[in-house]
Amino acid sequence: MNRLTIAWRNITRNHRRSLLTGGIVAFGFASFALAGGFMAQSFDGLRDNAIRSGLGHVQFADVRAFDKSEETTLQFGIGHTSRIMQVLSADPAVEVIMPRVEFYGLVSAGGRSIPFAGIGVDAEAEARGSSIPGSVHDGQWLNPMIRGVVIGGGLAKALNVKLGSSVTLLATTSDGTLNAIDATVRGIADISIKELSERYLALPLSLAQDLLIAPDTVSRISVILKKPAREPEAAARLVEKLNQSGVTLGVKIWRELAVFYQQVRMLYLAIFGFMGAVLLVVVFLSTANATLMSVSERTREIGTLRALGARPTRITGSFILEGALLGLASSVAGAVLSLLITFVINISNIEMPPPPGSIKGFIISVQIIPSAYLTAAVAMIVTLALASFFPARRAAHAQIVDSLAHV
Amino acid sequence: MGVERVHALRGVDVDVYPGDFLALRGPSGSGKTTLINLLGLLDVPDRGTLLLDGRNTATFSENERADTRRDRFGFVFQSFNLIPVLTASENVTYPMLLKPQPPGDMQSRAGELLAAVGLAGKEHVRPDLLSGGQRQRVAIARALANHPAVIFADEPTASLDSHTADTILDLMKQLNNERGVAFVLSTHDPRVVGRAERVIALHDGAIEPGAE
Repeated sequence: MNRLTIAWRNITRNHRRSLLTGGIVAFGFASFALAGGFMAQSFDGLRDNAIRSGLGHVQFADVRAFDKSEETTLQFGIGHTSRIMQVLSADPAVEVIMPRVEFYGLVSAGGRSIPFAGIGVDAEAEARGSSIPGSVHDGQWLNPMIRGVVIGGGLAKALNVKLGSSVTLLATTSDGTLNAIDATVRGIADISIKELSERYLALPLSLAQDLLIAPDTVSRISVILKKPAREPEAAARLVEKLNQSGVTLGVKIWRELAVFYQQVRMLYLAIFGFMGAVLLVVVFLSTANATLMSVSERTREIGTLRALGARPTRITGSFILEGALLGLASSVAGAVLSLLITFVINISNIEMPPPPGSIKGFIISVQIIPSAYLTAAVAMIVTLALASFFPARRAAHAQIVDSLAHV
Repeated sequence: MGVERVHALRGVDVDVYPGDFLALRGPSGSGKTTLINLLGLLDVPDRGTLLLDGRNTATFSENERADTRRDRFGFVFQSFNLIPVLTASENVTYPMLLKPQPPGDMQSRAGELLAAVGLAGKEHVRPDLLSGGQRQRVAIARALANHPAVIFADEPTASLDSHTADTILDLMKQLNNERGVAFVLSTHDPRVVGRAERVIALHDGAIEPGAE
């Protein structure tokens, strides 16, 4: 016989009450673990979206480009791209290199002219490292050998163009003159952010450089790494290698550039933290009542134990142990419940409405996050231990004769 | 209307000696339970002095009082007060758990004590499956667990039938004789008084003159 055995027997002596209390804790645990899993899944999705939207894991640009907006096209452009690409591609950590030219211009078709946000890309590299080619729902992704463009669905609608339609792109070149080229609409992309969909226009890198009359020049270079967890080390190493080859560039890892991701993350954490606190208070209040009843019913027993020589701290400790043990058992039940609910949610393909700023819904998915399960278990165990502590402490310090006379 | 101050005990002067078999006799409300609670360090007197081996117990801390009860006293209650979730053997072992000792020693001592009170074979039975007399025997075995100098028994026969009460009293007397452990019993049962070596009669919180 040890204290754990006694604690467990005391828990099971009133099955109904312990089951009810345990049920509250198990549901509390499940809420905690599921919310954590959903949040983690959302963070992962947001992170992948941010990286695959063109940020890459690491991004190189002129140092000024990270702090200021360009006043003229390619004002902060990077020259000698071929040499830079050679240095970067030699590093074993690099998986995909995505040079990009970013600019603004006017696109005309059938008498309509609409401003666009243009992006010149290495079509093959983007197909491997970016999610944008996958968003082409009508037509095909870019081909560097063809003077074709991919435009957002919103822009296609505004221009009233279809696949194969001819468009004229007009932009200010890097030396301040105007230049225009003709191209055909090769693909229409499903861009989930409405405002971007109405402005998005992608074209092959060489075509963009022709339009801007800026050969071998890009705005920035995004890099996808083989091992994303080592972004800072890789960034530092690549900058060093570039420096050694006589190129000075600024570098940022994706977290520093993904403003939307950071904002959503902070918002989720704040909401989750608040809900978690409310949940713990609810669990505490619900279980405190059961604990109070348990202690009250055992007042005489407490008096007896003290008469036998048990110190008040030992008696308080016994009740805390009971609370913690019930919290642990309920957490195990809560973990099983969470796994079951996670499984059901993940196979049910439940579609959620589009989030703010997006035009596309998503399938709800929940991850199993061991740290969320561990945190939930610790929170529930501590909550039950605390709920036991206060009534037990009071009862353990009551007059022994009063406790023995309790009916 | 007002609060009436009642003195549960007045001018009581009692000595308990090793090996005593002392009965505190008196009607309900005479102060027997109060006196036994004070002697057993379950309660603290408002006034007066309680000496244990010459030491004033008023100087004892809460933990010191608990340790004294654990190491030197045993208690037997009218309603047995066994822990319902523990078996007979575990109830006897419980006070030993409060005083760390090898688990094997505790188990063998619990078995020996249960055998001594006539409950061999009932080690693994829970209190709710025992008769009143058997429960009181378990309570006596539990009181003996840590080799006490004194066992305080408050109305130990009040919840028992006549025959069982006789058996329990005989057992207490036997333990008193064989083990030298002192018994202080509060009672108004003449059978207890009849077996006691010393009797203190209480009335309205005071010792009746010439009663001892």
